[in-house]
Formats: sequence, structure tokens, C-alpha cells
Amino acid sequence: MNNLCQLAIDTTRSPDVTYADARIVEIRNQVIFTEDERVGGMDDNVSLGIGIRVLLGGAWGFASTSDLSRESIQRTARNAVAIASANRANVNPGSFEWADEPAHTAPFRTPCEVDPFSVSLDEKIALLLRINEAVRAVKGVSKASSHMRFRRQHRYFVNTDGSSFETDIFTSTARYNATAVGESDAKTRYFEAPSANAGYEHIQKTPLLAEATRVGEEAVEQLSAPPCPAGKMDLILNPTHLALTMHESIGHATELDRVLGMEESLAGSSFATLDQLGTLRYGSPLMNVVCDNTMPGGLATMGYDDDGVECQRWDLIKQGILVGYKTSRDTCHAMGETRSRGSCRADSWASIPILRQSNFSLEPGETPLTPEDLIADTKDGILIDGMGSFSIDQKRHNFQFGGDCFWHVKDGKIAGMLQNVTYQAITTEFWSALDAICDRRFWVPTGVMNCGKGDPMQIAQMSHAAAPCRFRQIDVGGAQ
Amino acid sequence: MEQQQAYDLLARVLELSDADHVRASLHANALDSLRVADNVTTHNVRRENTVLSVECAFGQSHASATTNDLGEASLRQLVTAAETAARLSPPDPEYMPPVTPEEAGTYPACNAWSEETATFAPELMAERVGTAIEKVRSQDYRLSGGASQNADFSAFANSAGLRGMHRSTRAEMHATVLGEDGSGWAQTTATSRDDVDMLATAGEALEIAQMAQHPTEIEPGRYTVILRPEAVREMLPHYMIQDAKTTDEGRTFLRGLLGTKVCDEKIHLYSDPANSILPGSPFCKEGLATRRVDWVKGGVLENLDCSRYWAREKNLAPTPGPTNLIMAGGEQSVDDLIASTERGIYVIRFWYIRVVDPMTCLLTGMTRDGLFLIEDGTITRPLLQFRFNERVLNALSNVEAIGPQERVGNALLPTLKIRDFNFSSATRF
Repeated sequence: MNNLCQLAIDTTRSPDVTYADARIVEIRNQVIFTEDERVGGMDDNVSLGIGIRVLLGGAWGFASTSDLSRESIQRTARNAVAIASANRANVNPGSFEWADEPAHTAPFRTPCEVDPFSVSLDEKIALLLRINEAVRAVKGVSKASSHMRFRRQHRYFVNTDGSSFETDIFTSTARYNATAVGESDAKTRYFEAPSANAGYEHIQKTPLLAEATRVGEEAVEQLSAPPCPAGKMDLILNPTHLALTMHESIGHATELDRVLGMEESLAGSSFATLDQLGTLRYGSPLMNVVCDNTMPGGLATMGYDDDGVECQRWDLIKQGILVGYKTSRDTCHAMGETRSRGSCRADSWASIPILRQSNFSLEPGETPLTPEDLIADTKDGILIDGMGSFSIDQKRHNFQFGGDCFWHVKDGKIAGMLQNVTYQAITTEFWSALDAICDRRFWVPTGVMNCGKGDPMQIAQMSHAAAPCRFRQIDVGGAQ
Repeated sequence: MEQQQAYDLLARVLELSDADHVRASLHANALDSLRVADNVTTHNVRRENTVLSVECAFGQSHASATTNDLGEASLRQLVTAAETAARLSPPDPEYMPPVTPEEAGTYPACNAWSEETATFAPELMAERVGTAIEKVRSQDYRLSGGASQNADFSAFANSAGLRGMHRSTRAEMHATVLGEDGSGWAQTTATSRDDVDMLATAGEALEIAQMAQHPTEIEPGRYTVILRPEAVREMLPHYMIQDAKTTDEGRTFLRGLLGTKVCDEKIHLYSDPANSILPGSPFCKEGLATRRVDWVKGGVLENLDCSRYWAREKNLAPTPGPTNLIMAGGEQSVDDLIASTERGIYVIRFWYIRVVDPMTCLLTGMTRDGLFLIEDGTITRPLLQFRFNERVLNALSNVEAIGPQERVGNALLPTLKIRDFNFSSATRF
């Protein structure tokens, strides 16, 4: 495959082409979906092709094809050059910079104890159906559904910098839903082995079956829970919930392409503008956010990005102050850096690489603090678990989030379940209200599998880790 | 891909399988796309892919496999993968055998193809986009957006002797024009790239952006709104098409409402594969012929998306899901709708809409790229953006007037005037 990538690169060679890369990627996806006692669907999907990118006079051209014959690869490479050439008049070459990166050749592979594709379908189906059975055994549960998804991405990458490497990434996910239907309402609760770059051992280590009864019972309990009160309340957010709030209000706001206006037409821009780097008070002094594309199990941990840049770890927010961005080779110069942070990825061989969110984490608290301590210290608040509705404006400022399950915390104790809780805030005010973070024992990563960005739309994955946190006096209940 | 070549490939897949039932489908796509940001093109892309899927069933046990490698060895692997998984799968009580030619019905004519739009022409696309950039730049504004042309070919065949083929093209430009502190947006979509006037699209977005500069604040609350077709597309129609089985099981907000009046009687929402402006596909995924379907007519919920399985269980005719989405337009112009509004808000589009409560279809989202105050029948000033929280059925029940239809993406929708629309908070830009 490296030879075919090299053929593509050689075909693009001309005095005008200043950079080129070629990626051959084979993606295999296996999905098993069950509903109640039946297997609703099983699909095994293989997609193989090449994407060729050239830089010519400051203009990009990208072409891809699923036909890997030599003739097709050469035609596709010439198409990439033709597209770049046609757009020379539509760029300003004087403002374009492309950061240097050393050549890389070392392969990278996800540490994987059990290849998920080597595990029999029988075993996977049996586990999913046992989970459904356990969920449906709970009185009041009307519907159980569950699925597993496994992916292997085998990538060959060659560029004109001299890089030539191979990566092999495995991703594993399992999730189920319990639905209770009442007289005038229906409620669903979920549990998952959060998506991770790992093998089948990730599924085996997650107590999927052991949690099924609790999950079913919580779906039923929601039906009769009182609605969300309206007003200001303290929020205690579990990592399974906080990951999405972090993703939307920190992750996208600190993508440098958005900050520079390169995503204005779709995903939007950012309130966290470049002139505020080093000064913007993003949140409370407890807030330390670290990007880490070397994080074990992280969905963006892939050895190198699709610019050919080695994955890295760096600070994004220190003691509440914005100190960094996610960058690519064509954006890092804007913040005065000479090397990309390696956050440019494509969702398949067919897509042009674009700047994506990295894995990133809210660092845990330094003093010992358990979730039980946090609840005991809260007079009137709401505990939120799991992801729900999420909406945020195109500058990542005004947001409104729901969740999957909610409990009223009264005088330091759980005082019962609530339903339909939403909270609404301005990003910097919300993060400034952060006043407690549990310690590292309770710090866990959660995977985001469906991050949409780009035109044509691409779906990327990344992980966000946190420990349970408390936010003081946040507006709740405004949606109803 | 040529029709006979596709049918030969599908026939080969059927031949390779020993399953009781086999369904094979082929989808070829070529996409050309230019992306613009800050008055330069950024991501300029062509992609070509052909995907072959097969579903095999032994009795009621079924599974599928998909590949984009069309070589003989790959086809054999594909069939083996689907058959192996199907044999391991427990019987699925909801599995339905392949559609027969008699059951499928007659496929309608759907003229959705433009030969020139399927032709690779990077210079032409770059030139047209360049002209649009220049128009915006000359006014000291910034153009972001994208232009694309897309050619799709779909074919299928099954072991019951049914087969079908459809091809379609789609060309589009969407433009976001940005000034100092406000933006405007416009989009044009058509079957032929020659019907997408990029200069005019950029000009429309520029005009809105010029009106949108220096927005001012008003209090959030309930207002009469005039929603342009893109705002209607993002918020309202597709939520009204729900799955019949899920609804009958009490798990959607339309439960118990089939055949009843659910919104204002002026609302007529339907699908029509033969529509000349927005042609659909002649067949659904399973192979049934598509047809005109009224989802909501006279404000009454007329149909739900009903699968063959659920139709059999309930002794009904199946209703394939929407092949396109059309809402009937009204007699009034957009200017008429504005002129008849004493105090209201003119909304170009929404952004980031999410379901807050699926059982009441409570939605939240933001306004974007053009929000204006209407006073005494005239647009008077631009506004800072709002967040809304509103229920779909409330909004559709509060429709006061309907404007003309426009094609927005894969929908054909009118401007709607709606009273008491709930804006719950404001942004700071």
C-alpha cells in the first residue's frame, strides 16, 4: 500500500506543488443492534480507498477514490492537482504558511488485548440479548435496545516531507437503553461502555449486565419524578455528563480554525479570540484543561494526525486562563507557534483532513474529595448523569444542556429523582462558577463518537475526561 | 456507472448466495465541493466511491455486509460475511421477505438528472465561486460558504425478481456573508448546476448582512415571528413524520393523534417523488414504489411512516418514509407577511436545534445570520441573536399566514408567520 501512496505522490510532482500527501485507509465497521428479544440488524462494512492532497500556490486540491488500480490512482492524483490549480486565483498565497514537521516512519497500533473482530458474533449477540432480558425484567420497562460497534482503521500515509508510516486503530463501544412508557409520557435511560480506542477487553471490563436492573429501574422512576424547578441552583455534574458540556463549550471554542474564521459558514467561530490568548478568564482558578492525543484509550490517540504530525500533549487552560488552542500545520503560525499540535484529521480516506478537537481533560482536584463529599457539602442542587439534549450558539457562548438522569440534592443528601432538567448559561460565567472538583480516583474518560464539522460534513471522535464537579448557582428549568 | 453494468454486478451477487432471500444494492457517488472562508477557497475536494451491500436471510434470520471493493474475490467475501452472520442470528420476528414485483407497484418517473452536473469541471466551479467572492469582497465584506455538485446512482435487485435503478444530481451554493458585527445567509439548490446562480446567492446573503450590521438588544419573550423557509426547514416539518410502530407503542409525541387535528388547518405537509422542482426517488429502501403521501393535511395528521412489518401486524398498507418534504405555500408574498405584522421578528435561519423533550417535541436552538425587528409593518433594525424553546405542535398551531414556497436543500417549504413564538434568552452578539 505504501507503494501505491508513493505512486500518488510521484504523480503530483511538479515545480508548482509545494506539498503533497496520500493516505490509503481501510475501515472496517461491525455493528450489532438488538431490540427486546430480537437481533434487529448486523452489518459488517468495509471501506477502502485513497485520498490525495496537494498544495499548489497556496491552494489545496484533494481527490479521493475507492478504485485502487494504478491508473485510477494516477488519474485521481492529477484531479487533485487540477483542483488546486483551478483555485490558485481564489487564494492569497502571501498569507498562507505551512509549518515544518520532521519525517516519521515508526508504526503505531492501538494496544489491544482482544481483537474485537476475533470474538464470535454468538458471544456478542448473547451478551446483548442477556442485557435486554435483564432490563425488561424490571417492572414498568416496555422496551430494551442495545448495540455494539467495533471499528478498525488501518492507515498508510506518505507525504513529501519524507514521512511514510502505518497505523492500526481499534475502537470498541457498547451501549443499551431502557424505556418505560407511562400513561402520558415515555422515559429512556442509558448505560454504556464509553467508546474507546481499545479491544474487546473494554467491553468485558465494563459491568454492562450488572448495571441493567438499576438502569431499568431508573427509567421507570423518571416517569413519576417531579419536573425540574426553575431558578438558580447548584449543579453536580458526573463525568459522563460533563464530557459533552466540555466538548461544546471548551472543545469547539478552542479550535484555531474556528477562531480564525475558517468555519464561519457552518460550525461557526469562537468567542475565545486570538487577542485574548493568555488573558481570557475562561473559568475559575480550579480549571485546568489539558489536551492529550497520547492519552491511552483516547479516541483521538492515533500516533500521528493526517497532516503527518506526531500526537502531543499540551495545556489549553491553566488556572482558568486560556493559554492554548488546537492547531494544524496551516493554522499554528497565527498564534506564533512554529509546530502544529497535531489536531488535523479526516474521517476517512474520502475526506480532506480538517482541524478537529483533540482528546482533552479537565484535570482532577488536588485535594481528596469524593462524590459523596460533594453531595454532603451541597445544600440545594441537582446531580446530573449522562448526556442529553445539547445546544450552543455558533460562537460557543450561549448554551443549554439537558442530561440523561437527574437527582435533587437537598441538605447534603439525595432527595429523589427529577425529570426534564435543563440548565442554561454563558460559557465563561458557567466555568467561573466551578467551585469543586473530585480527585483523581474519580477521573474517567468519556468518548464522543459523533462530532460533526466541515463541508462536506465529517464525523470525528475524541475523548474527554473529568471527575465529578460542582457549579454554583446556575440557571435551571428555563426550557419548559 | 451504466445501468446494465450495475444490474450485471447485482445479478452476480444474487448468484453467489445460497440464502433463502437475498437483496443487493449498489450506490455510486461523485462529489465536487469547494469551500470558502474569509474570501478564499480552502477545502477543494473531489471524491468518488461505489458501495455494494447485500442482505442475506435464512428463514427469519438475517444480516448484511457492505464493501466498496467490487472485485470478484471481494464479492465472494461479502456474500460469505452476510451469510455467516445471518446463520448465527436468532430468528427476527419482524423480518420481512424481499418485496416482489407485484407488491412493489409501479415506479413513478423522477426526473432528477442533469448530465452536465455529473461532469468534473474544477475550472468552471472555481471561476463561478471566484466571481461570488469578488462581489462580496468589493463591498468590504467577507464570504464564507461552499459550492458543490453531486451525482448519485442507485440500483438494487432481490431474489424475488424485483430490481430498480435511479440516478440524481444536486448542485448547491450556500453563502454566509460577514461584516463588522453581523452576518447574512442565503442558499440555492437545484438539480442542475446551471440553475445555481452563485453571484445572486452571494448577493442575497450580502444584502442581508448589510442590513444586519450593528444589532441591538431587545428582551427575550414571546413574539410573532416570520420564519424564512430555511428556518422552517430546520425546525418544523421532519418532526411531523414519525414511525408508526414507535408511535403506536407510545414512544413518540404523536401517539394517539393519527387522524386528529394536530395543528392549524392551513398546514399541508406532503411528499411527492414526481415533484419537478424537488424530485424524489422512485423507490424506497426495500423496493416499494414511492408515491405522493399527505403527512398533515388541513391540520390533520393523515399518515405515519409505516413499515411492511407493522403494516402486516396492523392490517394496513405500508407507507414508505418521505422521499422528499414539501409544505404547500400560501397566497401572500413575504413582503405581505411583514406588512401585516405590527410587532414581530424576522428570522433568516436557525442553528443547533435539539430536542429537549421528545414526548412533547420541545425544541431548543439559536437564531443565526440575520434577525430583525418588525415594527408597524416594516423591518426597523437588526437584533442580537436569541435562543428559543418551543414545541413543534404549538408553533404549527399558531401559524397565522403562509408565504411562497422555495427550495431549501432537500425540502420545498414556505415562509411562515407564527404568533407567540418563545425566545427564552439572548446572546451577546
